[in-house]
Amino acid sequence: MGQLYLNKVTKSFGDLDVIKGVTLDIQDGEFVVFVGPSGCGKSTLLRIIAGLDDATQGDIVIDGLKVNDLAPVNRGIAMVFQSYALYPHMSVFENIAFPLRVEKMPEAQIKEKVESVAQVLQLDQRLQQKPGMLSGGQRQRVAIGRAIVREPKIFLFDEPLSNLDAALRADMRIELTKLHHDLAATMIYVTHDQVEAMTMADRIVVLNGGYIAQTGKPLELYHKPQNMFVAGFIGNPKMNFLPATCKAVSDEGVTVHCLGRDVTIPVEPRQDLVGSSLTLGIRPEHTFIGKGELDFQITPTVVERLGVNTIVYSSTSGDDRFSALLPGAAPVVVDKPVTIGFNAADCHLFDANENALERRTALTEIDLEQLASQ
Amino acid sequence: MSNQTAMINRYKWYEMIAIYAGIALFLIFVLSPFVEGFLVSLKPLSRLFSSPYRFWPEHGSFDAYVTMWDSVPGFARYVFNSIFLSTIATAIVLVLVVPAAYAFARFEFTGRGPLLAAFLAVNMFSGAVLLIPLFRLMRSMGVLNTYAAMIIPGVAFLIPTAIWLLRTYMIRIPKELEEAAYVDGASRFYTFRRVILPLAMPGITVVAITTFIGAYAQQFIFALTFNSKTEYMPLPIGLFAYFGRQEVIWNELMAASFVGIAPAMIVIFFLQRYLVSGLTAGAVK
Repeated sequence: MGQLYLNKVTKSFGDLDVIKGVTLDIQDGEFVVFVGPSGCGKSTLLRIIAGLDDATQGDIVIDGLKVNDLAPVNRGIAMVFQSYALYPHMSVFENIAFPLRVEKMPEAQIKEKVESVAQVLQLDQRLQQKPGMLSGGQRQRVAIGRAIVREPKIFLFDEPLSNLDAALRADMRIELTKLHHDLAATMIYVTHDQVEAMTMADRIVVLNGGYIAQTGKPLELYHKPQNMFVAGFIGNPKMNFLPATCKAVSDEGVTVHCLGRDVTIPVEPRQDLVGSSLTLGIRPEHTFIGKGELDFQITPTVVERLGVNTIVYSSTSGDDRFSALLPGAAPVVVDKPVTIGFNAADCHLFDANENALERRTALTEIDLEQLASQ
Repeated sequence: MSNQTAMINRYKWYEMIAIYAGIALFLIFVLSPFVEGFLVSLKPLSRLFSSPYRFWPEHGSFDAYVTMWDSVPGFARYVFNSIFLSTIATAIVLVLVVPAAYAFARFEFTGRGPLLAAFLAVNMFSGAVLLIPLFRLMRSMGVLNTYAAMIIPGVAFLIPTAIWLLRTYMIRIPKELEEAAYVDGASRFYTFRRVILPLAMPGITVVAITTFIGAYAQQFIFALTFNSKTEYMPLPIGLFAYFGRQEVIWNELMAASFVGIAPAMIVIFFLQRYLVSGLTAGAVK
């Protein structure tokens, strides 16, 4: 069992509030990713769960037991550090065996356990080597091995892949997902990389400035962000935001005036919106060249050709930037105006408080598990 | 091209000359007393003050290295005393300083900063300034004319530098290593023994070497003041035995100096190996 419950956890360093009240329920066997920009408190939150830092207020409950005052080892957690924190003077075997030696486990049992872990992580040929002789990916696996050998209830990962190069990171991502599947343990994973979050998580917790901005399945966050922060944070290139004014609300949605045209966006209507200024969000990947339900002319300032896609950036009014993700062979040239269009159904709408009006995309349409089982 | 030195290490010929001239000047300055001392030790006593002065010894021989043992029969004992005093002092310093440096490097406690500053302040006084109070202290403790009288004040003056040196080294050991050990259930002491000590070994070696040299060098003043027993005399005092009533046996004195330094040199050469091998130890990411 590895069920974790955080109840109104806060953390302050002096006058600085880093975590401003986080309540979160994590189920046994779940793979939860904490994601957010630097300084959002995600690592601090992980360290509080680990027991390396104290929570200023609030409870940390693991399997129904309040663990605030328990040492990490008694909480049933294991942690993998960003820098791996391998002991450079010990062999791979001794590194993995370290937690068992602390427990004073009999030698034969240690040998058996370490070897079975090494087998799983394909380190059996490396057991006698020092960490300094290993590649980045292997070191990472040793660090993971040291965590799993103790068979903890909850695994904590603090940006474990950020020191690896892009190709290795993709490999390790797959390995970690597989490991989670095999161990069926609860895993909490901190990263600033939204690709890692989107690909690995059962559930993503987006943190912003010490608060949870939104919790949800990866595609839920993508399709139904609850606020502008999550909308802008998830997705690459970032979502475009355009100013709009609310004209009317009806059962079909909210009619806004944007880019010189009135268009009805299919979102949950709210009566108080009429006349107020809103923000319309459109993801770059939902734009196309030519006329749409909404369209306008942009002048590309930068064109990035990635082969499969072309990304066009243009400056609009002021500092704002509009980007469009177009097909690889899109006929766009820097400084040559082009008409970009998009459809109302793809748009997001945010009120003056930056909160989203819920889109009328049924989650069944985006829940892949449900789609697959149909 | 590949076997050429890197661009940043290439110099014009006149730059090379300037660099080597600088090194030579420095080396001459540092080493000339030793060279002169060594040459004196090779000269027969009668020729030492011959005029005109000759740099290269005439009829040079190693006789002085043999006769010195006869002129001062206690010489071997003095060398032993020196090494003994330094070794014990170094051992005591290490036992005290290693945990202290770790505490200063890692633990937050009230008065850590002032305490460190105080240790540094102690170093601003040389032992000589405090000789009289120290003498009274030693007398009331009843340790005058024992080895302890030379070791205890020596240790006291060596500790501050050692703490500062080792603390700096220990700060560089990544904190995550301790956190990882803590998460895995290791106690502070277990972590200290299994993780910190092995990783700090190069730093500890440096401290051991500097402390040993320091102890060797500072014996003179404490031995001169706190000890009057011949059998406890360390080398620097023992060398006074070559100052006879009539004349100073310069060549034997020089020979004895070199023989006396030799053991310390050998120890340092041995420890140096660990310095290099340990430098990369903490570098695993």
